[in-house]
Amino acid sequence: MKNMSKEIMPIRALSSLFKVKFIKIIALLAIIIFFLVPVLRLVLLSFQVDSQLSLQNYADILQDSKTWSVLTDTILIVIGSTAISVILGVLLAWLVAYTDIRAKKWMQVFIILPFVIPSYISTLAWTQFLGANGLYGKLVSVLPFSLEPINLYSMGGIIFVLGFSHYPLVYLLSVSVFRKVPREVEQAARVSGASGWRTFLKVTVPLALPGIASGGFLAFLANLDNFGIPAFLGIPAQIDVLSTYIYQQVVGFGPSAFQRAATLSVLLGIIALCGTLVQWLLLKKSKRLETTVEDKKPRVQLGKAKNLIEFLLWSFFLLTSLVPFISMLMTSLLAAYGLDFTWENISLKNYQFVLENSPKAKRAIGNSLQLALVTTIIGVVIGTAFAYYRVRKPNRWSQFSEMSISLPYALPGTVMALAMIFAWMEPVPGWNPGIYGSVMILFIAYVTRFLILQVRGSITAIMQVDVSMEEAAMVSGSNGWSKWRKILIPLLLPSVLSGAFLVFLTALTELTVSSLLWSSNSETIGVVIFSFEQSGYTTYSTAFSSLIIAFILCGFITLYVLQYFWNRKVANVK
Amino acid sequence: MTIAINQLSKEFDGFQALKKINLQVREGEFIAILGPSGCGKTTLLRLLAGFLSPSEGEIVIGNNVVGNPQQTLPPEHRNIGMVFQSFALWPHLNVQEHIRFPLMHHRFVRKEIKKNQHERINEVLKMVDLEAFAERMPNELSGGQKQRVALARAIAPQPELLLMDEPLSNLDAELRMEMRSEIQALHQLTKATIVYVTHDQGEALAMADRIVVMNQGEIEQIGTPSDIYTKPVSPFVARFVGKANLVEGVWHEKHFVPSLASDIRWPDTGVVSAMKEQNIYPVRPEQFRLSKENESGSGLPGLITSVQFQGKEIYYTLEVADQTWAVHTDVSQQFSLGEAVYIHLSVPRNTVTKNYHHQAI
Ligand SMILES: Nc1ncnc2c1ncn2[C@@H]1O[C@H](COP(=O)(O)OP(=O)(O)O)[C@@H](O)[C@H]1O
Ligand SMILES: [Mg+2]
Repeated sequence: MKNMSKEIMPIRALSSLFKVKFIKIIALLAIIIFFLVPVLRLVLLSFQVDSQLSLQNYADILQDSKTWSVLTDTILIVIGSTAISVILGVLLAWLVAYTDIRAKKWMQVFIILPFVIPSYISTLAWTQFLGANGLYGKLVSVLPFSLEPINLYSMGGIIFVLGFSHYPLVYLLSVSVFRKVPREVEQAARVSGASGWRTFLKVTVPLALPGIASGGFLAFLANLDNFGIPAFLGIPAQIDVLSTYIYQQVVGFGPSAFQRAATLSVLLGIIALCGTLVQWLLLKKSKRLETTVEDKKPRVQLGKAKNLIEFLLWSFFLLTSLVPFISMLMTSLLAAYGLDFTWENISLKNYQFVLENSPKAKRAIGNSLQLALVTTIIGVVIGTAFAYYRVRKPNRWSQFSEMSISLPYALPGTVMALAMIFAWMEPVPGWNPGIYGSVMILFIAYVTRFLILQVRGSITAIMQVDVSMEEAAMVSGSNGWSKWRKILIPLLLPSVLSGAFLVFLTALTELTVSSLLWSSNSETIGVVIFSFEQSGYTTYSTAFSSLIIAFILCGFITLYVLQYFWNRKVANVK
Repeated sequence: MTIAINQLSKEFDGFQALKKINLQVREGEFIAILGPSGCGKTTLLRLLAGFLSPSEGEIVIGNNVVGNPQQTLPPEHRNIGMVFQSFALWPHLNVQEHIRFPLMHHRFVRKEIKKNQHERINEVLKMVDLEAFAERMPNELSGGQKQRVALARAIAPQPELLLMDEPLSNLDAELRMEMRSEIQALHQLTKATIVYVTHDQGEALAMADRIVVMNQGEIEQIGTPSDIYTKPVSPFVARFVGKANLVEGVWHEKHFVPSLASDIRWPDTGVVSAMKEQNIYPVRPEQFRLSKENESGSGLPGLITSVQFQGKEIYYTLEVADQTWAVHTDVSQQFSLGEAVYIHLSVPRNTVTKNYHHQAI
């Protein structure tokens, strides 16, 4: 400490202060340019006619009867599918959290499955399962009576697939809320004379409701935002929801429809943001239970009914999470679509086509891998750095930045893609650097849309590492790089990586944004599967989808094994 | 290493956590910072460590100003070691690696120690009695062992100043007693200056050379454990450290008349003038004596409202007029709940001046 002279310190402090200020200003500017400006330009465009401010676009759209029919369909579909998600999610959550059914871990795997598999792939699987030659037909034909074939290409079909794809969102929030309802509180109600049912209604439900409702709103947003399912099922049946309607405007009519699309996007965006706000408020309210730990011991003994309920549950899981994918796999192995599934008809030629013969598919794999990798790496570095700043220095600026970063993800994908087009087609009016129309726009769009996912993952990871561990390193004489290398990175890595894996998967299989932003040579996996399906090459689209699912499963197994070994090394990080 | 804290204040968003603190710590001294939760102890310690910058005033460690509102020397540039309340062990490093970490990074480690790292690790492991656990991971250790690892990590680089923030509060009662003597032994061994933060007055009284009693961001009293205990300068210290009853009344030149009974006179047993000015007589529970009969009229009548048998002593709570007093007595004489008794001040013989001896007893 002798070497610390009073003259040197202020200069050093001043220069580092200047550097920090400088970095902050640059970061803030970047956040505004990349995350806020595109959305603002979209809103602005919706209020412009021939470069004049005007409400004409809104007047036109609201007078168009087609708008109202799209809106009605959207509302019906979103409400119907959200109802399915909530009923399924809450019921399963209650069973898993409260009763003594067995093998809950395995059930959880099957419940999460629809969540990690891209919804357009699930849709393909369902169409194969319920289609003319699908397993469903075969199963039903064994029955003595005849059943109507189910047509998924309908309102009901869209509602059904949406609801089944998004119930895990409700489940995940509800199960943790149910587990956090203190057992003593319920027991207190029982000894005060309330029956089991009354206790459930008067104690459990009021405590769990905000969490459940917040899960319901997440499902609502997912259903509203979803593009894959209504695109695969609705477009062939001429059923339009807002997201596919916007898509069709842009794809069908090009720049002349941009104003229209922008106006519709603003409407959709406003609905979504309101939903997000309500969801956020509800989640905040459910934090009342935050201090209590999750209680994983069963509270309700099912007794004799247990076997029956377990049987029903497993039938449900197999039927909804496994059989459709087996159907899809079967289709993908057929030499030609429509053939029976027999030994002679099985071939790998669809896989060969996707992996070798189709330049489009090969390009798409390369593009999507690149996009996912770059998005993940940028996310891990920038997202974690920001998360660290956000957690350790919570202030107005970091809060503002987090809100800006979450905006592109809170907005529906179609809206976000449109905003990207307006922002990057001519970043400065009159100057077109060719970003739109190349793979560049996809890089920008992916990073802006998915950064928040990594930020959230990293925030969770950093909050788990008590600040005193870092301080212990500092008083041990280490700060800066050695502190990160030896203490923070090893501690953060497992959870940051699982966040990164989620980002990677989401980016790899992204469909909504890329379906509006792709151009020839910059196709993505989602876009190619969609186009195979739209042009009737179902064997190719199912083969490609099966490959993706195999890849996802391998990824999860690897991640699981890695985490298993890590956890064995450091059991409780506290 | 000496520490001088001059007019030190710390403000968090308009909240004064520390208010113009002044404190001098001598070389090799064991100082306990004692105060209730939220009084600013941790804030003071974190200022000493360099995790916070002062809002006003300065901190001098050794001969150097390490912190004032303009500049703060960061923790890794200070010759310190620190033990955290939560242990703050790194879950991915084993015991030995915890000790090696500061030996590699601490800037003040002596050259010969740096060279013979391995020996130093073994030496430290021996000091904290963890030789058999060198390869263990933190999650394979008990609470007490974790605490020892945290201590070992802090002392390994031989810092001249050791900071400890309630290091024993996460341990159970028995282990706390055991660790007290171990920390004292380490103090003897390392000769480091220790600043030890605690809210437990027993710990502070037992271990420290001097105690700093804090309340609401201010220092109430600085003194040796026996001074703090027997000569509290403020009602707060009397109550917090000695659990004293603050009896109101009127101080005369050499005696005290409780306002509850104008015919009783209590002799001065060394009450400091600050308390006299407030006309308060602080009486610790063990300074009272109870009796059934009012011998010589020196007792105040009271009603026993609770009795706690403690083995060696009995804790009584009494209602005296509209006040509640605590009295601890030995077990030779026992009273029961609801009993009406008389309360006397027991006066050690030597403190009573001849004059008052006749009048008081
Ligand atoms: N970083 C902070 N920001 C705002 N207030 C703080 C911060 N740290 C401490 N405080 C406040 O300062 C007061 C003293 O805190 P602290 O030093 O931790 O108390 P102690 O360690 O004595 O329990 C408390 O009221 C606390 O809420
Ligand atoms: Mg504290």
